[in-house]
Amino acid sequence: MLNVASVNKSFDGFMAVNDTDLTVEKGQVVAVIGPNGAGKTTLFKLITGHLHPDQGQILFKGEDISALPPYEVCRKGISLSFQVVNIFSRLTVFENVQAAVLSHLKKTYKLFSPARNQAVRETWEILDNVGLTKKADGVSGALSHGDQKVLEIAIALGNAPELLILDEPTAGMSPEETAVAINLIHRLTAELGLTILFCEHDMELVFSIAHSIMVMQQGKSLIEGDPETVKNNPLVQEAYLGEST
Amino acid sequence: MTANITWAAFSQQILVGLSKTTILFIVSSGLSLVLGVLRIPNVFHGSLYMIGAFIAYSAAMVLGGSPLGFWVALVVAPLGVALISLIVERGLFCRLYEREHLMLLLFTFAFMLVFGDLVKLVWGSDYRSLSAPPILQGYFSIFGLPFPRYNAFLLLIGPLVAFGLWFLTNKTKIGKISRAAAVDREMVGAVGINVSWVFAAVFIIGCFLAGLGGALVAPTQNITQGMDHAIIIEAFLIVIIGGLGNIWGALLGALIFGLTDSIGILVWPQFAIVFPYIAVVVVLMFRPQGLLKSVW
Amino acid sequence: MFAAAINKRSFGIAVTLLVLLGVLPFFLDRFYIYLTALILVTGLLATSLNMVLGYGGMYQFHHAVFYGVGAYACALTLIKTDLPPYAGFIVGPVVAAAVGVIMGLICVRLSKLYFGMLQIALGSLVWAIVYRWYSFTGGDDGLHGVPVPDLISSINGAYYFTLIITALCMVLIYLIINSPFGRIFQAIRDNPERSETIGVNVKRHQLVGLTIAAFFGGVAGSLFVTVEGSVFPDLMFWTLSLEILIMCLLGGWFTFLGPMVGAGIVVSLQTFVGMYTEYWTLIMGIILILLIFFLPEGVLGFFLERFSSREQAMSAEK
Repeated sequence: MLNVASVNKSFDGFMAVNDTDLTVEKGQVVAVIGPNGAGKTTLFKLITGHLHPDQGQILFKGEDISALPPYEVCRKGISLSFQVVNIFSRLTVFENVQAAVLSHLKKTYKLFSPARNQAVRETWEILDNVGLTKKADGVSGALSHGDQKVLEIAIALGNAPELLILDEPTAGMSPEETAVAINLIHRLTAELGLTILFCEHDMELVFSIAHSIMVMQQGKSLIEGDPETVKNNPLVQEAYLGEST
Repeated sequence: MTANITWAAFSQQILVGLSKTTILFIVSSGLSLVLGVLRIPNVFHGSLYMIGAFIAYSAAMVLGGSPLGFWVALVVAPLGVALISLIVERGLFCRLYEREHLMLLLFTFAFMLVFGDLVKLVWGSDYRSLSAPPILQGYFSIFGLPFPRYNAFLLLIGPLVAFGLWFLTNKTKIGKISRAAAVDREMVGAVGINVSWVFAAVFIIGCFLAGLGGALVAPTQNITQGMDHAIIIEAFLIVIIGGLGNIWGALLGALIFGLTDSIGILVWPQFAIVFPYIAVVVVLMFRPQGLLKSVW
Repeated sequence: MFAAAINKRSFGIAVTLLVLLGVLPFFLDRFYIYLTALILVTGLLATSLNMVLGYGGMYQFHHAVFYGVGAYACALTLIKTDLPPYAGFIVGPVVAAAVGVIMGLICVRLSKLYFGMLQIALGSLVWAIVYRWYSFTGGDDGLHGVPVPDLISSINGAYYFTLIITALCMVLIYLIINSPFGRIFQAIRDNPERSETIGVNVKRHQLVGLTIAAFFGGVAGSLFVTVEGSVFPDLMFWTLSLEILIMCLLGGWFTFLGPMVGAGIVVSLQTFVGMYTEYWTLIMGIILILLIFFLPEGVLGFFLERFSSREQAMSAEK
């Protein structure tokens, strides 16, 4: 479904992403792992249109999306949940998710019908799914960090994505919050059958749900394959897994 | 209409435009300095310019119209303005640096309102005028047309101030620190420099320039209420087209503004006022972030 | 449930206010009716600004341009064309909206302070043209004795016309703010980057928002012509733009009625303090300084916050 081919991106001469390849098939859960600064977030932002590659191609369902702005990429069916919490902090939790649903339903130019009657069912469905129903009326800026990260994912779900990209969904969470988030991601893959591309430092999570793993180092894709292959690859063991165990 | 514009008249008008440019440059470079380092769009910068002109007038009056009056005024006015800005900065401003731009903008606008009325209280609503010292009165003959000596004086002052500013920002310690603070204030604070006082110094220098501009403009026009309104928008536009916080941008912007204005007077006097604004809009359509690199 | 209760209450307040304003001319003399009309007009202008400022997060630094353009377009239609008299009140807002589209197309590429500054530049250009074009706009004198239609030329007629149109516009703006578009607009205010990521074309929404605000600014301008019978370049001078920014801030720029309240305070101050001293801008400036230091959420914002925190405390006790 997603095909990233020999993509390059540099900032002031620094190669953040260097000749990287990545493939995501429909229905798969793909993890990107690598040390901090390996270029994972940059790679995701290249896919979602926040950045544009210097070279290379990004194909989504056979169409080159590498030059599109973020909102066009989103409309093609790719949603991003940010690593650093990036929500609408003055709006309520409900309104945060509703904004995404409204955008998905192409209702953003409706001027005179009350918003509280629009996209309500879809929004509640998502809130129920992620477990934020009870906090729906609270102002999102006042939530705990863990809840804000869950809201991040909920907003991304609001666009009913075909491909969901999660940039470190458990970053900065307490152990309890992490457990809740892992549970949520498990359910998203199992019950909704979403195609997910994510990066994560929690190796347990990575190896428990990923169908395929891509290892990045210094902006390059080292290897891409199923968890067993990646685990047993000597290069990977030396470069990455070695230091984390 | 255009047929009877001679080459000589054109050149003379350009020279007059250049001397106006000097004033615009001095005022807007101060504004740009404050914008670049402190990130404050200082609306009362224009008020300080007006106050500078009034102080210059009063200083010259105290000396009873002696030829020395103008030169004393030229020193006293900017210093007086710098003192006022020191009080405002230390008293109120330094507590607001973390607020958003909109609040800072409105805060400085509040001071513009206050200063406007204070000037009315102190100096009244009448026109005032200050005459240039005898040595700068009268005319040269350039291209067979008269050219005011005072404008020639301004043409000398402009490069001097530009050089002074270049020296200050590139060769002195405070200049180097403030340039670093413009880019990354946390870093400057982290190496043990008192950022707050650096900001105060930059703010005062910026305001000093407004006062200097006011003193310099005094002999060329009536000193009056409303001077602040006219100059501040021009200064803002100059800073914007030059690139926020870039001193050379302020120079370039002032040149564009001053020259389009004087060409406008030649070509279509009724709408001369429109020409600089059109120039600004055209520049910003093609270079939305200004002509030179902004420090933002 | 809570939301429904709030709305019922606001509806009650709105109706009471309207009735009060409706019977006002039976009790007050000409001067106060005129003043109330002026407050309504200025309040509508401030509310239209706040739609893009408080709800859209756009640095609309020169909103008065649309007010002035609307006023001039209305006045010029009444003076110079043979169109039916009320056409001016349609031409005014429409021309203001058209200017809004043109300025928007140029400005929305930029963000925040640059957006605001470019808008001041463009607005000053419009002002400079109006200020100098004696043969068409009357130059710095403006145009006086605009032939307002008979029905609304008396002070009471002008008042009721203003009241009805203002009320109608306030309802429309309220609907827009609470529509899906308004919701997305607030999302853009809070976080433009995230808005792009959920598939929103931020620039286009900002353009639409600016155009709508310009339209209502133009309505306010046309109403000004009704109340004053004249137009002058000060209506689009940049200081007026900052004054209406102050009204929004003073009343509370995250509340719907805040700008109207702010306009009431500023216009009344201007009138009454102006009777006793010519230094009313000094007082205005001092109030603004105090406000920024002690009440950054505005008067109405302050009371609403008090109110809602008390209410939350009460519901927590239950």
